[in-house]
Amino acid sequence: MHNEIKEFSYHISWRSRGRHSGSHASTQRGMGMEFRGHTTLLSYPDPRRIDIRQTIRDPLEQVYVRIFNQKSATPVFAIADLSGSMNFGSKQSKVALTSKIASAIAMSATHNSDPFGFIGFDDVVREDWLCTQSFRSHQALELTSALKNFEPDQVGSAGLNDVIRFLPRERSLIFLISDFHMPMNELEDSLSLLMQHHVVPVVLWDSSEYKNLPEFGITSVTDCESGEKRTLFLRKDMRANIVASFEARRAEIEALFMKFDIAPFFVEGDFDADALTEYFHQFVAA
Amino acid sequence: MNIPIFFDSPWALWLLPLAFLPLVLDRAFTQRYSWVAMLPKDRLSDLIGILLKVLAVLALLFIVLGLASPHSQQQSIERIGVGAQIALVLDRSASMDDPFSGGDTNGKVAETKSVAASRLITQFVKSRQNDMFGMITFSNSAMYVLPLTENREAILAAVQATAGNALFQTNIGSGITSGAGLFDKVPDSGSRAMILLSDGGGRIDADTQQKIRDWLDRLHIGLYWIVLRQPGGLSIFDTSYVPPEDAVLPPQIELNEFFKTLTSPFHAYEADDPKSLAAAIADINQKEKKPIRYHEQIPGYDFSQACFLLAALMIGLLLGVKYLEVRTWD
Repeated sequence: MHNEIKEFSYHISWRSRGRHSGSHASTQRGMGMEFRGHTTLLSYPDPRRIDIRQTIRDPLEQVYVRIFNQKSATPVFAIADLSGSMNFGSKQSKVALTSKIASAIAMSATHNSDPFGFIGFDDVVREDWLCTQSFRSHQALELTSALKNFEPDQVGSAGLNDVIRFLPRERSLIFLISDFHMPMNELEDSLSLLMQHHVVPVVLWDSSEYKNLPEFGITSVTDCESGEKRTLFLRKDMRANIVASFEARRAEIEALFMKFDIAPFFVEGDFDADALTEYFHQFVAA
Repeated sequence: MNIPIFFDSPWALWLLPLAFLPLVLDRAFTQRYSWVAMLPKDRLSDLIGILLKVLAVLALLFIVLGLASPHSQQQSIERIGVGAQIALVLDRSASMDDPFSGGDTNGKVAETKSVAASRLITQFVKSRQNDMFGMITFSNSAMYVLPLTENREAILAAVQATAGNALFQTNIGSGITSGAGLFDKVPDSGSRAMILLSDGGGRIDADTQQKIRDWLDRLHIGLYWIVLRQPGGLSIFDTSYVPPEDAVLPPQIELNEFFKTLTSPFHAYEADDPKSLAAAIADINQKEKKPIRYHEQIPGYDFSQACFLLAALMIGLLLGVKYLEVRTWD
C-alpha cells in the first residue's frame, strides 16, 4: 500500500529512556547486548545473568549478576507548518511535499519500531491535524496522505509556540517541517522551548520563490499569510536582489540553528530520502 | 488664467466616485507569493505600483469628466482698437450701374459707379482692421444686409454682393433711418459714422427728416455723404445755382441743405470719377481714427474631446503594462 514511500534511516545521539524495546541506545536495564556493570543477585534477582567469574573472585562470597541495557524505542514526531506560505510551490505545493516527508518519517519510524506522532500547526495547533504517538502508524499515514490535498488558508505560523504542550516529556526526535518564513525572534523563542527534544529542522524552499523567477515583466504578488500586496517590476538586478535576499536569509537561518547546535536540512524541489539518511550520518553522532 | 468650466450634463459627475474604485479594489490578477516580506524593497516597483493605480484612476476620471462634457463659457473680451463703428449705406438704384460722369473723356467705357464703389469700399474695409461695419443698401426701400460686426469676411462678402440688378428709385430717407437703426442697442464705441454713398439725392418728407435728425443726434452718428455725380448733373456745392422761379430745389441740393441743419457732424463729398471717390474715402479714413472700445466674443471651448483623448492615452499605457505582465510564474 505504501510502496511509493521511500524510507530513510536515522539514529539518535542520546540515550533513550523509553521502556518499550526498540532500536536506540537506552538507559533502560533489560535484555540488551550493552554491558552496563555487575550487581548482586539480591538486588537484581535474575539467575540467568549470574556471572560465575565475578562470583568466584569475590572474597565476600556474594553471588553477582551482569546487567545490560536494552535497546529502547524513542518517540518520533513530524511537526508540520500548515500556514499560508506552505501553499506556495511550482510543481507541488510545500504542503504536498510535507505530506511526502511526513509519510516517509512515519514509515521509517514504524520500521525502526519507534512510535510516531504528527502535529500540524498554523496560527494555533490544528487539532484536526493531530495524531498522538503510536506504534501503529496507520492512522498517522492516513493523516499524512490526506495532507497532500490540503490547502492552507491565509494564516500565520504562531502556533509553533504551543506545539510543546502536545509533545511528551521524554526526549523525542522531532522533524520540524516548515519553510521558516517567520520572523527570526519568533522562531528563536519557539525553538528554545523545543530544546529538550532533538529537533531536525526540515527547511522547504521552492526554487520558484527566488531562483526561478520570471525573467522580465510586471506582476502583482499577494502574500499567502498577510494578504499584503506588492507590485513587482522583475528585471535583472531585481532578481539578483531577491536571490541575494534569500541567500542572506539562508545564512541567517543556519546561524540561528547552529546557535542551538542543530543543522538545518534544506529541501528544495523534491524530497530525497537518501539525503536525509546522509544528514544523520553527517550531523548526528551514532 | 482662470476659465470657469461648465458642464453640459453635470449628472455624469455623480459617477466621479467610481473613478476611485481602483484605489479600493485590488488587482484581480495577482500571483501568490509565500512571503512578500522576503522581497527586497524596490523603489521602481513601488513607483510602478502607484503609477498603475494612478493611471487607472485618471483614466476613469477623464472618462467621467468627458461624459459630463465640460466646456468653457463663451467669453467677451474688451478690446481697444483704432477705428470706428461704420454703417455703410449704399445706393443700389439702377443709375449706379452707369459710368462716372467724369470718366469717359478718353473715349473708353469707364468703370461703372457701383463697381468702383464696391472696389474702393472693399479696399477701405480691408485697410481698417479694427472697425466694425454694418451695411444697408437701398433703392426703393432699405435692405438690411449686415448688422454691425467685426467679421471681415462677412463685410467683404456683403460689399461684393451689392452688384446686381436694381430698381430705379432712390429712397434715401429709408436708407438713413435703417442705417441709424444699426447702431441702436450696440454699445457706443465713441466713434460712429455712417457713410452714405449715393448718386444724386432723393426727397425726404418732414417726418423722416425729424426722425433722422433725432436718431443721428441721439446715437452720436457722424454722417458722411458721398455723392456720385450724374453726368452733366448738378454739383451740390454749386452755390451759384438759382432754381427757376416757382420750382423746388433739385433733390440733392435740398438734401444737402437739410444735412447741414443736423446737430450731429456732417460732411459731404462729391465724386465724379473713381479717383475723387478714392480721395473722399481716404479723407473719411483719416477722420475716423479715434480709439474705440469694443467687445469681442470668444466661443466656449469643448473639453470633452481632450478628456476622452487623455483617457484613451491612460488606457493605452495600462494596456502596455498588461503586455509586460508576467502571466506564467515559472
